[in-house]
Amino acid sequence: MVEEKGHPNGIDEQPATDAKPKAGEDLDHRVSRRKLLVTGVGVMSGAIAATVGVPAIFYVAGPAQEQGGEQDWIRLGTASSIETGTQTLMKATVERRAGYLTTTEELSVFVSTENGADFVALSNICTHLGCRVRWVDDQNAFFCPCHNAVFGPDGTVLEGPPPRPLDRFETKVEDGQIFIRRT
Amino acid sequence: MKSEEREEYLKEYDEKKKKGVPFWPDIIFKDVLVSFLLFLILVALAYFLGSSLEEIADPSDANYTPRPEWYFLFLFQLLKFFPGDLEVVGVIVLPVIAIIFLILLPWTDRSKRRHPSGRPVVTGITVAGLVAAIFLTVQAIEEAPLPASATAEGDRVAALYVENCAGCHGPTVIVAPGTDLFAVISAGTHEGMPSWNSDLSADEIDALVGFLLAPNGNEVFAAACAECHTLDQLIEADAIDLRSALELGTGFAPHADAAIPDWKGLLSAAEQAQLLNFLTAPDGQRLWTQLCAACHGRSVAVSGDEAALRDLIVKGGGHLDMPAFGGTLVDTDIQALAIYVMDQTAYPAGEGLFAQHCSSCHAQRVPTAGSLDEAVAAIARGGAHEDMPVWGEILTDEQIGALVAYVFQAADLPDLAGGEDLFAQNCAACHGELGEGGPNPARAGDIIAPISTAEYLRTRDDQTLRAIVSQGQPNFGMSPFGDSFGGPLNDEQIDTIVAFLRAWEADPPVELPPDVPAVPQSTSSGREVYQQLCAQCHGDRGQGGIGTAFGEQAWQSANSDSAIFDAINLGHEATAMIAWGEILTSQQIEQLVAYIRTLNSSGSATGAPTFVGDVLPIFQASCAACHGSLGGWTGTNYEDALNTGEGGPTILPGDPDNSRLVQTLVGTHPDGIVMPPSGALSDTDVQTIVDWIAAGAPER
Amino acid sequence: MATRFGDWLNERSGWRAAYTMVFLRKIPKINWAYTLGSATLFAMIIQIVTGILLTLYYVPDPQLAYASVGYITNELPFGWLIRGLHHWGASAMVLLVVLHMVRVIIYGAYKYPREFTWITGVALLLLTFSFGFTGYLLPWDQRAYWATVVGTQIGEVTPVVGDTLRAVMLGGEEISGLTLSRFYGAHVWVLPSVLLLLVGIHIYLVIRNGITSVPKRGE
Repeated sequence: MVEEKGHPNGIDEQPATDAKPKAGEDLDHRVSRRKLLVTGVGVMSGAIAATVGVPAIFYVAGPAQEQGGEQDWIRLGTASSIETGTQTLMKATVERRAGYLTTTEELSVFVSTENGADFVALSNICTHLGCRVRWVDDQNAFFCPCHNAVFGPDGTVLEGPPPRPLDRFETKVEDGQIFIRRT
Repeated sequence: MKSEEREEYLKEYDEKKKKGVPFWPDIIFKDVLVSFLLFLILVALAYFLGSSLEEIADPSDANYTPRPEWYFLFLFQLLKFFPGDLEVVGVIVLPVIAIIFLILLPWTDRSKRRHPSGRPVVTGITVAGLVAAIFLTVQAIEEAPLPASATAEGDRVAALYVENCAGCHGPTVIVAPGTDLFAVISAGTHEGMPSWNSDLSADEIDALVGFLLAPNGNEVFAAACAECHTLDQLIEADAIDLRSALELGTGFAPHADAAIPDWKGLLSAAEQAQLLNFLTAPDGQRLWTQLCAACHGRSVAVSGDEAALRDLIVKGGGHLDMPAFGGTLVDTDIQALAIYVMDQTAYPAGEGLFAQHCSSCHAQRVPTAGSLDEAVAAIARGGAHEDMPVWGEILTDEQIGALVAYVFQAADLPDLAGGEDLFAQNCAACHGELGEGGPNPARAGDIIAPISTAEYLRTRDDQTLRAIVSQGQPNFGMSPFGDSFGGPLNDEQIDTIVAFLRAWEADPPVELPPDVPAVPQSTSSGREVYQQLCAQCHGDRGQGGIGTAFGEQAWQSANSDSAIFDAINLGHEATAMIAWGEILTSQQIEQLVAYIRTLNSSGSATGAPTFVGDVLPIFQASCAACHGSLGGWTGTNYEDALNTGEGGPTILPGDPDNSRLVQTLVGTHPDGIVMPPSGALSDTDVQTIVDWIAAGAPER
Repeated sequence: MATRFGDWLNERSGWRAAYTMVFLRKIPKINWAYTLGSATLFAMIIQIVTGILLTLYYVPDPQLAYASVGYITNELPFGWLIRGLHHWGASAMVLLVVLHMVRVIIYGAYKYPREFTWITGVALLLLTFSFGFTGYLLPWDQRAYWATVVGTQIGEVTPVVGDTLRAVMLGGEEISGLTLSRFYGAHVWVLPSVLLLLVGIHIYLVIRNGITSVPKRGE
């Protein structure tokens, strides 16, 4: 490149030269014009950023607001098939919708009843690390094979590391069918 | 540029820069302002036009008209100017030249001049290139095969056109008046247009003819009717209804409740004609069937010349001058005739009067009248009395022309009796005397479908039939019969045959496909399949008939199982033995083979049960669930059935009573075991097993 | 406070010199046609931002692509906006790049000392078309599919290597899942990296050499 006099790109000694007064009147004019331009740039850039940015937040957060159909009652089976005094493992498939994909997931629940009218539904997933618990009839307790946790028939922790009782589902019986719902 | 020039430029540029404005905020403001406007436009486009998402990609969809995105359209359009081998020029050479031109621009244009007027060549090329690209893009958009949208609306005719014709003809075809388009499409032309006969059905060709003669009809249809009607509905509708719907608006009964505009006022006469032409393609044969055949019957007869016929059709009921019988007949006779006209069965005595006074004109057909009074009045007054519609008010000129042409053509057709003979000589061998079809002698395993059903004939017009007879159907093994294709029949004879076939349409001798064996998939026993399919030729006990006899030992030993299997599976060429492999599963054929083995009459006289043919199915149904995989006795094959078992063989050939199998089945086993646990076998099954063991437990 | 931080940062980055050089340089008198370049840059930024947002949901799989695009367009909040901006922004890019280039040709701005700027510009033009072509297939709808069929068939005419070229481009004889994933790879990774590199050079050169002045008649 050919050697240039002064600054490269022809920048003057004083960068803010355009704001510098040449005559008193010109100063006001220049300052207000400059202010106007800067404000204009700020407003327009801000508007663009907001028009893209705010929707983008909703866009990104979109799926989080979707209901996965989890709140609905899930039918387990006939209530009459549940014997009193023991735990009955019942399975249901739950359709879970995530965006454009629908997956089915199997849900296993221990259901018991004392009087044939009120039902208790317990998740079979150990609250410790998510292993599947099994019902041991002889000991009248749930047993988790992973870390030897023991839960009582009502789901309370009797032994072992689990931090809380087995998860309970809300239950209802309609037309002889038993339904559960996550609480 | 020389180095002094370069220095000079830099110096000048430096001067200009000093006199210029600062980048921030002056220039940036301008940039941001433009970008902001651009952004507003984009948001508006996104909001108002959105981003379309069509149907999911379907690679098998041959109807979709592919188009590149708009900025490649000019290239796409360019190809039209470089057909065939020249394509490479449009696709590769020109774009590469353009890119090289751009890359080398700073070195080809080395002058120090910068103003466009100082560089006429570069400016000229650029402007010319731009104009050309814009021109090509616009042209491509305009020439877009019209139905891109129409197709999306389900306009099948437009789709048909795009698919078959647009490739060569572009978006429209100019048709010279008086062209028999149907003939052109179905037969092709000498200019390299192929015959579409084999690719398009007669209905499709009709639809195309309508579309071509009235391309606007398609648009009018899309604009005026498509919202409520599908094309099929309206094409099937009859011309009278269509016309009334157009003319009466909401006065047309079916439209009474519809909020429709006044078509008559909105559509010009030309548009109405276009629409009608489009919907009822000017195809004489179809029009005749739809409009005339109800009164005039299917056979077409005509006397007089074309102008007279046209006149007659146009004027309709006004054409006949019936004398006023009021002067010649007494009132009671008129009354009697009127009663007879209203109801022939109620007053059979009127027949004589009718024959005497009316049938010279009316022949056997009794006119209809709305009421007795009307009939009396018509007979007494004479004149135009029948309800032949005034077709001139209903049909378009093109349609009437087509109808007239058809009437003359059809009336010219040769008589049917000759056709029957010709059919018997040439066609019946394969198609059956009544066109009922049967096994295809030319292609093993193929069954010729009936050609005499109303359905078959309705969907093929005379042209198509003629073409089939004369050109044959090589794909199906039908050789050409037309003398121009090397066959024995001349055009006249083919016409005769076609007329003979056509006569079947009204009175089809065959309604359903022939007894193509209602595929007995569900039937599992070889015996049943045999009785259903084989017995009619081979005899119900394999004694033979049209087909081979299986009963003899010589045949049985001469043919291996696999030979029999192949014969059934593949059939024999040039006989009625078709390849059953296309109808039966291989399992069924195996069972058939096994069953045929049991038909050996020289073996045990009664045809003793065999393992493969009779016993194995029982084992498989009732025992194999356990005795096949769970150990103990295994009954799934012959060897194991005879040799395995707990504590010795389960089956003692020749000695059913001491065979453990029989003991467990009938409950006489000393250990008290009863098989199968789920319940006893039926008596016949047990008997079969007992018989089989008694016969020495033969495998086959 | 701000000044002190600015000083602190300046000592370690020299940002003031860069700021002065970029923002406080003077520009010769120019007209509105000169905003086309920055508008193109802006459209590119829009494409990048919306493009990144689209990848959060889009799946380049023939089974899922269409469903995911449908989900974005019809179900996600403001999905229509993000996809709409990207969709129309693509056309805007092509249009602006071409107009920008025409402006450069008309004003002879490709001449000394900006020949190299011009070369990168031509490359960016081709790149923009490549973006358009690869991006068009991604929604996997009828229009996308068939436009790609036509597009790749046009390329097939190339003598000698045409067939091979098409097969390599499509990842096989026909458009398939392989085509989709490689178009996606090109559209989202390959082309953008080249684009950013070239745009960086292009902008650097524009700043270094300055914008041409509007040539006067006779210049």
